[in-house]
Amino acid sequence: MLYTVVQNMGILCSRHKRGNQANTEENAQAAEIERRIEQETKAEKHIQKLLLLGAGESGKSTIFKQIKLLFQTGFDERELQSYTSVIHANVYQTIKILHDGAKELALSEAGSSKYGLSIDNKEIGEKLSEIGGRLDYPRLTEELVQDILKIWRDPAIQETYTRGNELQVPDCANYFMENLQRLSDTNYIPTKEDVLHARVRTTGVVEIQFSPVGENKKSGEVYRLFDVGGQRNERRKWIHLFEGVTAVIFCAAISEYDQTLFEDESRNRIMETKELFEWVLKQKCFEKTSFMLFLNKFDIFEKKVSKVPLNVCEWFKDYQPVSTGKQEVEHAYEFVKKKFEELYYQNVTCDHQDRVFKIYRTTALDQKLVKKTFKLVDETLRRRNLFEAGLL
Amino acid sequence: MTGCDVIGGCPSDYVALSVSILSFVFLFLRSTLPFLIHKVPRPKGSSFWIPAIQIIASFNLLLSLAMSLNVVRFHRRHWWQSCYIWGVWVNGPLGFGLLLSCRIIQATHLYSVFVKRRLFPIRSYISLPLALLPWVAWAALLQIEQPLNNRCHMGTRWAVPYICFPVLYIAALIGITGAIHHIEFRFDELKDLWRGILVTVFSIGVWVVAYVLNETHEEVMWLQVTTRCVLLVVASSLVVAFFSISFSQPLVSVMSLNKKESFELKTMGQALGIPDSGHLSHNDPTLDVDPNEPLDKLLLNKRFRCSFMEFADSCLAGESVHFYNEVEQLERIPVNDPVKRIYMARHIIEKYINTGAPMEVNISHRTRQEILTTLDLSHPDLLKNAANELLQLMNMNLAKDYWSSMFFLKFKEEAAMRSVDHEHEQVNGWNFSPRLSSVHCPDDPFYQDHMPRDPPTLDARGSHLH
Repeated sequence: MLYTVVQNMGILCSRHKRGNQANTEENAQAAEIERRIEQETKAEKHIQKLLLLGAGESGKSTIFKQIKLLFQTGFDERELQSYTSVIHANVYQTIKILHDGAKELALSEAGSSKYGLSIDNKEIGEKLSEIGGRLDYPRLTEELVQDILKIWRDPAIQETYTRGNELQVPDCANYFMENLQRLSDTNYIPTKEDVLHARVRTTGVVEIQFSPVGENKKSGEVYRLFDVGGQRNERRKWIHLFEGVTAVIFCAAISEYDQTLFEDESRNRIMETKELFEWVLKQKCFEKTSFMLFLNKFDIFEKKVSKVPLNVCEWFKDYQPVSTGKQEVEHAYEFVKKKFEELYYQNVTCDHQDRVFKIYRTTALDQKLVKKTFKLVDETLRRRNLFEAGLL
Repeated sequence: MTGCDVIGGCPSDYVALSVSILSFVFLFLRSTLPFLIHKVPRPKGSSFWIPAIQIIASFNLLLSLAMSLNVVRFHRRHWWQSCYIWGVWVNGPLGFGLLLSCRIIQATHLYSVFVKRRLFPIRSYISLPLALLPWVAWAALLQIEQPLNNRCHMGTRWAVPYICFPVLYIAALIGITGAIHHIEFRFDELKDLWRGILVTVFSIGVWVVAYVLNETHEEVMWLQVTTRCVLLVVASSLVVAFFSISFSQPLVSVMSLNKKESFELKTMGQALGIPDSGHLSHNDPTLDVDPNEPLDKLLLNKRFRCSFMEFADSCLAGESVHFYNEVEQLERIPVNDPVKRIYMARHIIEKYINTGAPMEVNISHRTRQEILTTLDLSHPDLLKNAANELLQLMNMNLAKDYWSSMFFLKFKEEAAMRSVDHEHEQVNGWNFSPRLSSVHCPDDPFYQDHMPRDPPTLDARGSHLH
């Protein structure tokens, strides 16, 4: 009997030992998984989230493209070629908008003949307008280029172009029209500048991850940059990106003070930007987020300020011009900058005491300027990181 | 020492009160349960407010009757317990009048959309107060003249003109219903309208009889008690029978409250009976996709469209594809069936075009205004411009990224697998797209059940064995 008991005990013991072995294996596996998860969360924490926000056509996607060009591998030939159809589409759309706009203006100002196309150009105009309304645009042939140039140079169209702020003429119109011959070449590959000028309304969200390599080329923050659409319907999607944001880059196109929204032609663009900026500032999740305000499209602003007074916009109605020329441009810019600063500080509460707020003057098309601006942004964020770490 | 017929609190009163409380709770549940069970998002704009105001008006009506008929025993000490507040204001403009006005506005919307074929041009927050104006004027008149006695009775001189109001409104409602009764509605709207009219006429009849009896026999105790009990009970049944959501939320009205059926959530296309508008089935043809073909041709294939839709949803740009999908369904409705076309067009406008719509699309101001101010909702080219604009947007924005996304690879794999007649393996897991690696949101706003991953069914294998 003792023998059976001992045997049974032996079996029990060996079973227990096997159980122990299985346990340690399981433990090792679980520990490995835990370690991996920890590593990944730590890695994720080091990724800084940047959001590009702003109203429609404020330059967000152009800044996005610039960042891609500067800090990622840039655009390879295939990607550059994929922009050809976009650029051609922009050309056709511009001509259609101008032609249809001229017709409307001619109707509304029945007395003057300023907006009436010359007889020979009328037919060409109709043809181009019909092409512009199609889904599939034809390739830019030599003949089409000649037609387009004829229409573009027609005084009625040029007159309509001066009133382009009442229509939805894209900013790239002049640039593409000037370079039309080059764009229609059979072996045309868009240059970087062409790609930056190309206009596509962003819908949904796009992101890239990059690292702005510093001088020592070793350390560098990893940034994840999100680009969004700016039209009103796109803004309901922004809320999904608002968690854990390091910095918001808010783009405001200051040259748009005499233009109306694409999605609501009864609303001034600067007034919309103002309201949107206030809304973004008041968001709870941005209490600790740094704000970088990019006052964009300075190149267009420069040229426009002397021709169209700032006070056509309600927000700037107390503007008084003091001089002319370059001094005036600077004065106007400082005025606008002060307005945005005032707006920021009006919407700051005691929770936002140590929130960083910087304003930058940008022209998103200028690569050097964007690089310099981004380096400043990077520096600010780095300093902010150290500050926060120091506190902890 | 007055009896309970004067100051209230008789047993029959409490019975009537409990009936009215139960009926209001039932009404509230009936209006909110479909949304809770099927997790339908709260509608926006007048499709939410008019039913909500109807529920509030029902509550006001019942409460005002309880208070002004002395059903509940309390001392009228405070100013807010006065007869005028309950019997005149809450009963009229904020109760019964509001109910009838809401229904008239709803009927007018139906007339405008289905007979005149255009969206009703006056916003609800203007038209509803306008419809309510006569009641408010009458209540103000009563407040000034103060004809009510301490039992909250108004005397024949005032009661006769008072009865004109509901009668006028009912007449207007009957007129509008008569103007639309030739339309073949698909969601019981006409039935609900007639039911509402009948129930209201019946209630008014009961009210008149009760009033006459009360006036002529003011001293008979049991008559007082019975009439007010009857009035409260009839009013409770009125509010329950009057309510309907088929005007503002036709799809919700056809959803059953049975939770097991909640997976069969119908789209408008399915509810209208448009062929081939449901989920993907095994019989849908595959497609040899050539990225050089124009996007609109590729989108005609249902499987490709679903795959593209999933990709667009993943980068929060799905509304354009969903819109395109439903417009394609609209185009399949024959032109000689204007009622169905109008239903579908109205549904698309409410879901995609209205400012602040749940899946508002990115179109220009001009295109949007053209659609919202159209004079013919059944016109075949109503949404053509918007569809073109969005197709351009998809082409220039999403198409490029789609070709290099995992969604496309998955689509090609599934197509290859299907052609070799293999088991339909679930290709799930990492849905990578070059646009967006991770958006941590608790609920994907675009989550739609358009491609249920069915486990391999016997049919697929069976057909292989034959």
